[in-house]
Amino acid sequence: MTDKTILAVDNLALSYGNNPILKGVSMQLRRGEVVSLLGPSGSGKTTLLRAVAGLEQPHAGSVGIAGRAIYDAAANIDVPAEQRNLGLVFQSYALWPHKTVFENVAYPLKLRKVAANEIVQRVHGALKNLGLDHLAERYPHQLSGGQQQRVSIARALVYNPPVILLDEPLSNLDAKMREEARAWLRNLIVEMQLSALVVTHDQSEAMAMSDRILLLNGGVIEQQGTPQEMYSQPQTFFVADFMGSNNILKGHVGEIRDGLARVDFGDGLALWGIRRSDAAIGQAVSAVIRIEQLHLAKGAGEHRAEIDLVTSMFLGDRYEYVFHVGDKLLRAWGKRSEGAGRRWLEFPPEAVWVF
Amino acid sequence: MLQTLPRRVVVTLLALSVFFPIGLVFYQSFLSGPFFMPSAIFSLESFVFIFDDADFWLALKNTLAVAVGMSLIAIPLGALLAFIMVRTDLPGRKWLETPILIPIFVSPVVLGFGYVVSLGPVGFFSVWFQDLFGSVPWNIYSLASIIVIAGLTHVPHVYLYSSSALRNLGSDVEEAARLSGASPFRVARDVSIPMVSPALLYVGVLVFFLGFEIFGLPLILGDPEGHLVLTTYLYKLTNKLGTPSYHLMAAVATCIIAVTFPLVLLQRFLLKSAQRFVAMKGKSARQRPLMLGPWKWVAFSLILAWLFFSVVVPVAGIALRSMVSSWGQGVNLLEVLTLDHFRAVLDEATMIRSIVNSILIGTLGGALAVGGYLAIGLTTHRKHDNLARFVDYIVLTPRAVPGLMAGLAVFWVFLFVPFLAPLRSTLFSVWFAYAVVWLAYGMRLIQSALMQVGPELEEAGRLVGAGQARVSRDITVPLIRNGLLGAWLLVFMIFEREYSTGVYLLSPGTEVIGAQIVSLWASGAVDVVAALSLINMALVGVGLAVALRFGVKLHD
Repeated sequence: MTDKTILAVDNLALSYGNNPILKGVSMQLRRGEVVSLLGPSGSGKTTLLRAVAGLEQPHAGSVGIAGRAIYDAAANIDVPAEQRNLGLVFQSYALWPHKTVFENVAYPLKLRKVAANEIVQRVHGALKNLGLDHLAERYPHQLSGGQQQRVSIARALVYNPPVILLDEPLSNLDAKMREEARAWLRNLIVEMQLSALVVTHDQSEAMAMSDRILLLNGGVIEQQGTPQEMYSQPQTFFVADFMGSNNILKGHVGEIRDGLARVDFGDGLALWGIRRSDAAIGQAVSAVIRIEQLHLAKGAGEHRAEIDLVTSMFLGDRYEYVFHVGDKLLRAWGKRSEGAGRRWLEFPPEAVWVF
Repeated sequence: MLQTLPRRVVVTLLALSVFFPIGLVFYQSFLSGPFFMPSAIFSLESFVFIFDDADFWLALKNTLAVAVGMSLIAIPLGALLAFIMVRTDLPGRKWLETPILIPIFVSPVVLGFGYVVSLGPVGFFSVWFQDLFGSVPWNIYSLASIIVIAGLTHVPHVYLYSSSALRNLGSDVEEAARLSGASPFRVARDVSIPMVSPALLYVGVLVFFLGFEIFGLPLILGDPEGHLVLTTYLYKLTNKLGTPSYHLMAAVATCIIAVTFPLVLLQRFLLKSAQRFVAMKGKSARQRPLMLGPWKWVAFSLILAWLFFSVVVPVAGIALRSMVSSWGQGVNLLEVLTLDHFRAVLDEATMIRSIVNSILIGTLGGALAVGGYLAIGLTTHRKHDNLARFVDYIVLTPRAVPGLMAGLAVFWVFLFVPFLAPLRSTLFSVWFAYAVVWLAYGMRLIQSALMQVGPELEEAGRLVGAGQARVSRDITVPLIRNGLLGAWLLVFMIFEREYSTGVYLLSPGTEVIGAQIVSLWASGAVDVVAALSLINMALVGVGLAVALRFGVKLHD
């Protein structure tokens, strides 16, 4: 832990009854950094966030904010949620429907016994920052989803918490707004130099918004790193599969040479790819190929195979081709519409990962 | 944590309020005489006495007959009514919803009285029937009549639970069965009914249980021919030996609780499994009503006939009886109309007191009770520790004690505890008994309101720095304001309707209409009983009208 570390989670474990949810998770968040907790549902990402917030009860490990322990199982420290001074933006925004926008944002300051005129000033400042000042007297139900989200962020920021926690902040917006809000939120966090921990199940959201990603799987951290590392250097099959859109083919290792492995899939297809695991010759493996790495080729050649194209689908900015390999489907992208028939596909070995 | 002290205080008070009276009943049942007599010693003689009493066994047999009989009538009719109301295109469904529930809110003693004045040997409807057909084929005072009336007036209870189960059932599951090739009849038999069967099982146990508690109807209808049930047997015991036979009453009460408490636990278990069943199904899609075609007029007339018998007949009887001086063959009712009975009521201070007390206990007492239930609800809200589980069971316990006995137990408490004795003849004792008797009902209202509050709204409060007490005050309670108002109105109606709980607490200063009717009925003051009954129904009706005006849901 360095003095830049603002949030430190060490070996945190949590169970519901006999069902372990977090099996010893450690992570750090540095000042001014955005870290995403990414994972499929049930991976424990929301539970980890809620445990940091003090809304779930871990049974082992520790959590520290700016060097102060707020939870430590060994030392029997468990600061209640209201004294942790953290900001949390809820998935549902959790605006109090009986309070106006102003009252929602003012409440944390009122609890902190801030003088009334200072409350007015600070709330309006926070609302202005988020472009909400004209909505102060409205009630939450009179706002759009995007506006509600901003109020929720204003409420979480108004008392300057050292860390802001965001639980699936974009999931309640519709698809089109989500991309705009993503850019807006990233910009806000960078501009206000916030330290943020974000839970998301959407890998593109995680990559776009964060400086680092923690990918959770079954209550443990599967891999962590920058978005670029997570995307292009997955350490396990799970990470490779979770990040990006993939073709996955199951076969057996036929030959190993220079860090590459040849995978035989039966029905004549065999591909060379990078060995990402220590699978030996004859063992069952999975080959992962990002969809964007597969290209139609003009004719025969090294690392090319001729397979059946079944159909092309128009996706707006590109076409998606669907191929049959035995009983499996392969997908690739291209610029043109292609009719059904035999086509040559190129499988560059550096883009084929063998796990 | 800081809030554990108030939490412990609330739970301690609650446990005392519930267990002390019931404990006193058990204690009393094992004494040889009333507990205040120095000569009373521990013995089983009260049980020996009642087990030797042929009347006890007769009462038990009648109770079983009533409980089984009314279940057999109420459950099929209630389930059918629910199916017609929820699943079909019956005309006027919206309009019928409220009248169907009326019998729940009318005091059973008032209902019983209504049947006597309408269908009794000289009742209005009997007289008209005799004029038309020459003779009256029914006897309102037979055990069979009690069973039929009890069965028909408990149809709404069955309706409530089965209709909400049917409403939760998405028509997608039925449509899936239709598309797989099942006829509507097969759909009902193979899909709909099995899917609501947990709710039907629950309501079956509930009605059987209510059969054990029933008091007002057999008190009024069973008396002339001497058909006793356990509760009326207990009531008659009051002066069986000349001296207050508290030990015998306690023994009977203990016997009743020995049956009802397991039934309450069974209901709880069934309700939980029924909810699990409902939770299994997916999203409930929009429901499409089943087309009844020409059958809808048959269904409509059936419902009207039932409403006529279980609402119009008793209510009209009371209304008429309270406003005529005489009736019978050859009497033109228009010529004997009078307001004398109401004048008689208003002339007597006791009667006025009972009306004022009833209003006070419904409004002020109802608000206080809701406040108490809210305090209890907040101590267990979002908590899953042992204390919360303990409260869960405390709340269930009074459900097993019929109002008559609960009133008796509270009466004993105020007799037994020296510093409470001065409160015995104040309205506080009646309010306390009411609040304890309706604890489970009130808690269900409060808890369902509390469940509506999204947990994240409270968590957001915690995160921005509010402690639990602060969250309750600033977020939870303001958010359930409407639920609390609804609970207050429903508790008002229930408290106005209540009659048996106040029977033993009746003394100068603690009169309430319900208990007053029971006591006046015994003395034969039928004119006054009729007027009081109508006033009582009017009070409930005002509550009902206000509740409907505010859009309060009459059921959960």
